[in-house]
Amino acid sequence: MLHLWVMPKQPLLPKRAGYRPDFRLGDTIVEVKSDLHSFRNLRAALLQLAYYINEEAAERGLLVLVHPRISDEALHKEWCLLERTLQPEVLRRLFLAVRRESGVTPIAGDLPKDLDRQILASVDHEPRIQPYRAPQISDAILLVLLNEWLLRKGPMTTHWLMQAVGCSYPTVANALRRLGAVIKRFPDRRFQLWGFPTEEWQRVVANRERSHPTLHYLDRSGQRRGAEALLHRAVGLDRSDIAVGGVFAARHYHPEFDLRGTPRLDLTLHSPNGRVDLSFVEQLDPALERTSADDEHADLAIHVLRRREDFYVSEGGGLPFVDRVSTLLDLYDARLTSQAREFQNYLVESVG
Amino acid sequence: MSTLPARRVMQQVAEAIPRELQREIIIVGSLAAAYHFFGQDSGGEITTKDVDGMLSPNAHAIRNGRAIAERLFEAGWTLKKDPKWRTLGDASTPLDELPILRMHPPGNTDWVLELAAAPPAGSSAPKVFERVSTTHGDFTLYSFRFLALAEEDPLESDFGIFYARPEMMALANLLHHPRIGPEFIPGTEEKRSNKDLGRVLALAWLASARERDALEEWHPRWLAALQSRFRTEWAELALRAGDGLRLLVEDNHKLDFDEATRLSNLSLLKGLDLGATHLRATARRVLGDALRPLEAAARTKSVA
Repeated sequence: MLHLWVMPKQPLLPKRAGYRPDFRLGDTIVEVKSDLHSFRNLRAALLQLAYYINEEAAERGLLVLVHPRISDEALHKEWCLLERTLQPEVLRRLFLAVRRESGVTPIAGDLPKDLDRQILASVDHEPRIQPYRAPQISDAILLVLLNEWLLRKGPMTTHWLMQAVGCSYPTVANALRRLGAVIKRFPDRRFQLWGFPTEEWQRVVANRERSHPTLHYLDRSGQRRGAEALLHRAVGLDRSDIAVGGVFAARHYHPEFDLRGTPRLDLTLHSPNGRVDLSFVEQLDPALERTSADDEHADLAIHVLRRREDFYVSEGGGLPFVDRVSTLLDLYDARLTSQAREFQNYLVESVG
Repeated sequence: MSTLPARRVMQQVAEAIPRELQREIIIVGSLAAAYHFFGQDSGGEITTKDVDGMLSPNAHAIRNGRAIAERLFEAGWTLKKDPKWRTLGDASTPLDELPILRMHPPGNTDWVLELAAAPPAGSSAPKVFERVSTTHGDFTLYSFRFLALAEEDPLESDFGIFYARPEMMALANLLHHPRIGPEFIPGTEEKRSNKDLGRVLALAWLASARERDALEEWHPRWLAALQSRFRTEWAELALRAGDGLRLLVEDNHKLDFDEATRLSNLSLLKGLDLGATHLRATARRVLGDALRPLEAAARTKSVA
């Protein structure tokens, strides 16, 4: 599942009572919450919004929950509680909606149709979308450890790992503690993986959206351009934060990689500060549209890399390649499972 | 509407035109498009009843129009009956009341050849009428301003007659419809702008079907054609060429877009089973791959 939140529209809304909603659409103040899973946070979000619009009688307030982990039924029940609590004058201007794969669904209040579409556009197509929450740091740390092991780089220091991932000493220490069974420690306090951490890796693959968030795009014209053509355009973007992964990278690292054709283009966008500009997708092909990874076969996958060091591998001209571990995750995301396993075996055997 | 074999109709038109004038008429519209995309396929068909021939250049249009009309009459072509023009025009008939030269081939009323003219050089009128006098009466030759683009580097058919490039017809349609106008196609309740802008998308789709990156080749040709045909105002035209299409894809023109899709599916896209989703994506490609670079070039000129 992909978690989204929308960067504030320009200009920033003024703060009221220390709170600034995400953006405004006409007279509607919009707050977007991703991955919300607790009633406490839901109530806080609704109340903040209610406080906000209470100060301006012409405003409406809309809370959009993106892929919430709370069911619609539970949200309806929560809204009933709210109805008994809030003043009717504020309540009639307050709306709750959820964004799931099928679109935006109102939970409470009648959203005007045009607003519904604008919300969808804002959440899904706004180039300044920040496409996911902060990653699971322990997974990000494991991916770096694994890449270093695959490259036979030898043991590393905590400081080096902090710099590579972009996190604090306690975070690294906690992660290493959790990964204890697969960590080999050296007398000089350096460490590395003992070997391929099969169990931990399976967990990362199963939950890869946490450490390897991905946006999927599909051609809607009926005339897909093909991965090679998209790559050709990507090379022309002249962006240093983009690297190519997936099948292209797998073939680079493993020339015997066994797959006929290239089903999609995988690009990784390095975004250590979390700001993501996806406007380049239109330059790759304006006919591409965001799609769900679950529903359809994508033509383009954009993976967002949040750690500080990208570990991109440059090979002269063209785009750099993502690291081996990211390549492996790309293959799993593309559901090229047997090819991913074969590539994984190749990488592990190469370590010796 | 009739289904016509594109190649055979092109051949028949070419053979009916006096040889010495074959290079002074350009086939435009659906036959030109159908011939371009399906003309090598003997089964390639076009769903239309009109074949549009544009006399080019304008300076010879009246002379050539008369010569072609006389030749067609001699060969047994007949004027299409039209309740609007029950009597033939003569020298006393006002220009704007003259019938258009619309002629059926001998023994076949499935389709008509309609003669028009290329616009006068430098004219800024959207539509110009000119009188052509024949032994069968007076007629009008109309010309649309932006069809001057169809004169730009036309393609030659296998039968020696020229036809307009698809991308030039697309640009002419884009410029002709800067908004979704309320005008209906005569005899229907279908908007002319929806049909013509839908035609742009159909041409783009078919061009991309032939060559995936075809639209990337459109904008350099568009730029050259605009600069050649509209020397002083090309940049302004380039900047507004996408206005109508941008309106068409807006949510509040959904019904117009659906109509554009439906009309395209009745014509050039017949049998391809394309929906509005496909054509919306195609519209984004036209805007992103063809119009945006054209607009960028115009802005560069404006800045300079």
